[in-house]
Amino acid sequence: MTMTDNEQTSSSSASAMQRAGIPVPGYIKRNHILGAFFFALTFLLLPQFDQYTTVIGFILVFAAVGGSLVIAFGAAGQFTLGHSIFLGAGAFLSANIANDSYGWGRGLEVEIPIALAVCFVLGLIVGLPSLRVNELYLALATFAIAYVGQQVLYEWKQFTAGGSGKSAGDLTLFGWEIGRGTPYIRLSLIILLVTFWICGNILDGKTGRSMNALRTSETAARSAGINVAWLKILAFGISGAISGLAGVLYIHNLRYAGPENFNVHLSILLILTLIIGGRHRLAGAVGGAIFVKFLPELIRDIQEYEGIIYGGALILLTLFSPRGLIGLIETFLRIIGAQLAKTPVGRFLPKGISGEIEPTTTTTSPLQSSALAGLASSEKRGHLTVADARVIFGGVRAVDGVSFEVEAGKVTGVIGSNGAGKTTLFNAITGHAKNGEGIFTLDGVELSNKPIFARSLAGLGRTFQNLNLHGDIRVLDHALIGLDREMHYGRVSEAFRLPHVVRNERKGYEQSAELLDHMELLEYWNEKVDDLPYGLQKRVDVARGLATNPSILLLDEPAAGLPTAEALEMMQNVIEYAKHIGCGVIVIEHNVELVADVCERVIVMDAGKILADGTAQSVMKNEDVIAAYLGT
Amino acid sequence: MAEFIQLLWSGILNGLCYALIGLSLVLIFKTARILNFAAGTMAGFTGWFAWWWATKQGIPFLLAILVAIVMVAVATLLIERLTIRPLINENFLSIVTITLGLEFLIANVSIRMFGGRAESLRIPGDIQFKNFEIGGVRFNWWHIVIVIATFIILAIVGYIVNRTELGLAMRAFAEDKDAARLMGIKESTVSQWTWTLSVTVGGLTGILFAPVLFLQQDYMNIPFIKGFVAAILGGFTSLSGGVFGGLLLGELEALAVKYAPRQAAAALPVIIVFFILLIRPRGLFTRAKAHERV
Repeated sequence: MTMTDNEQTSSSSASAMQRAGIPVPGYIKRNHILGAFFFALTFLLLPQFDQYTTVIGFILVFAAVGGSLVIAFGAAGQFTLGHSIFLGAGAFLSANIANDSYGWGRGLEVEIPIALAVCFVLGLIVGLPSLRVNELYLALATFAIAYVGQQVLYEWKQFTAGGSGKSAGDLTLFGWEIGRGTPYIRLSLIILLVTFWICGNILDGKTGRSMNALRTSETAARSAGINVAWLKILAFGISGAISGLAGVLYIHNLRYAGPENFNVHLSILLILTLIIGGRHRLAGAVGGAIFVKFLPELIRDIQEYEGIIYGGALILLTLFSPRGLIGLIETFLRIIGAQLAKTPVGRFLPKGISGEIEPTTTTTSPLQSSALAGLASSEKRGHLTVADARVIFGGVRAVDGVSFEVEAGKVTGVIGSNGAGKTTLFNAITGHAKNGEGIFTLDGVELSNKPIFARSLAGLGRTFQNLNLHGDIRVLDHALIGLDREMHYGRVSEAFRLPHVVRNERKGYEQSAELLDHMELLEYWNEKVDDLPYGLQKRVDVARGLATNPSILLLDEPAAGLPTAEALEMMQNVIEYAKHIGCGVIVIEHNVELVADVCERVIVMDAGKILADGTAQSVMKNEDVIAAYLGT
Repeated sequence: MAEFIQLLWSGILNGLCYALIGLSLVLIFKTARILNFAAGTMAGFTGWFAWWWATKQGIPFLLAILVAIVMVAVATLLIERLTIRPLINENFLSIVTITLGLEFLIANVSIRMFGGRAESLRIPGDIQFKNFEIGGVRFNWWHIVIVIATFIILAIVGYIVNRTELGLAMRAFAEDKDAARLMGIKESTVSQWTWTLSVTVGGLTGILFAPVLFLQQDYMNIPFIKGFVAAILGGFTSLSGGVFGGLLLGELEALAVKYAPRQAAAALPVIIVFFILLIRPRGLFTRAKAHERV
């Protein structure tokens, strides 16, 4: 291999990121360039499509709402049928602010901020049901809100003029008159471009990652320290604000809005548009909008068959390309890319398209790398006290008055037969057991009354017996979700991707990559966890726990189902990392050999109580333990 | 007093419509965890289809109903085989998307086939125009037919679900899919029969209420939304809950029209239901789910 690349020449100390070919987070991505290209193309060619300006205006409106739905639905997974009311609110706010005859006569510079602010708050309210219900029930609740919302629009005569509706105000921006037709569409295009840039930044940052975590496993997201309740509401707020902005564009495009425009069918059409386009990408919002709004316009004869086309497309896409039109295009490009990579042209293709990574070895251990050296702690953490833990299901005392204390930085094993209450004890400590009682203190901080995510943020890490991974999320992102708490930036800076956001992201990526390298997962960084074999999934679960930089890590059967040699190697890696960051470990395990090998202390549980407690050798000799394990 | 009873009676009538649509939704959801967004449109299609056979083809009224129901049921089996079955193990959302697609598709087909202009379904003897009075309360003969027919439908569905082997299989699937499979119950058979039953209930609703609501494009859309609300109110997995939810919603609406301020009358019932659901998110008739295992 010839080393023409600058980065490659210093490969003796190449970081894990460079070796695995993980792209460094920056300001500009390939998608930005693609987006800018299509923006410029549309911007310049617009005068050619004069007769289509209203249609193009609607495509932009639908694309903007689609972008907002990528956040609430695509990323955060909240299936909402309530987005018509944001459009309605935005549209009528615009009419009331801009139209002279209703009073104020201000331009877009006032309309847009007010629509954003009002619809953000409205979004927070519409999102409230998501705290209690999901899927079907959330669909209904938001459906009901959209239905009630439309009735309100009909009846609130000062705001909407009832059934007769209101016409749009003059189009001005800071006092400049903006012409109808091409100039207005160009302005909308610029607004859409900025909106998408912001949406993209949110999706790339920790907010987007947390939302993806929330969509794929709420339980695991809580354990990673994500405030799930607030995040759901926030998703609705952000999404509502952007849809409100789209409402402003809507009324200026149509020059009129009546309550009849904002019915529940619009809500359904909006979410269908995104599903057709592909809900995992902002480009899907554009693709869907073009399909739904432009295709029937282009071929006038088919307008009467609109429903058949939408419906048919929806059914065919769901059956054959669940990731929508964009998913279809992506698959197509990947096949082309893979084919091209085999030909001489392949040399000129950017790395990663063909999906091949060249393995390089390094002599320095990941723990010594600059990224992880910073996390090293000589101070030991993880002094946990458990006092009188109880969990009672009906008449069963699953955990019955367990008390113990764990010294900082120690490795403790918990063993016991099935049903002894080991996992339930963990659930009580982490807060997953809803009826758990007891007083838990970690390094002097009382955890007992805190919600799950707050306990996690206080330094309590855990893994799950039945994995609970984030399905279609990359391995690298699992580590990043844990590390997000170390990234110190606010959501507003994130939306504009300020320099300190990028700095934090880079650091997080480097740490994640080194952590994956330490856990021998680096070569799988770009795989979805669903596609990995069981043993690797187990490792990802543990790596995710370590990534939260816990004070104490609770491992629930991390080695179950693994061959002993592999299990031992993994446990040694975990403990090495834990010692590096000064964190304590408690491990539930059935493999007694493994426990004896790695644990400094072993607690034996039976029927919800502690049966024995001491060094591995001493408990193995304990007669009660032998009786409980082997029977008398 | 007579006026009040008249009000309750109209509430019952609307309520039965919501109850039947709710029932058709619950049947599918309970067994197959599918939310059928096309239920209203399918019911409307059946109503139109019966009208088409009776008026355009001139076959006797009852025969037209039978032909319409059977043909829609057969078409549904085909749709189920082609679009629902391949996704039966996929996530909830995929199938919801499919049914949304079906909704658009069938609505469009229905306009193409039946013209989309308002029509009226003529009943032999024109009994929808004939009334009688008891103690100052007016009753319409067709409304009486609706009530009787509804009770027959409910009795038959209740019998099938609770007393037959098919019903047992359906209930087994509702409880635990995997265990039901292990017991040798064939999923495709259960799925097919559930769809048939659900579409038949919906179709009969579409026909029964066609003279009341008038045949027009999308005439079952509002009843669908209300039936949806009714099903949710009942917890979406309880058949009797869905029926009760429908009646409750119908009465709430009737009373709101009379006693609530005019501006709020349309939205008030939905608002009330919304608040009920905030307190009991899983409806009035279902117990809370057992503790989730982590």
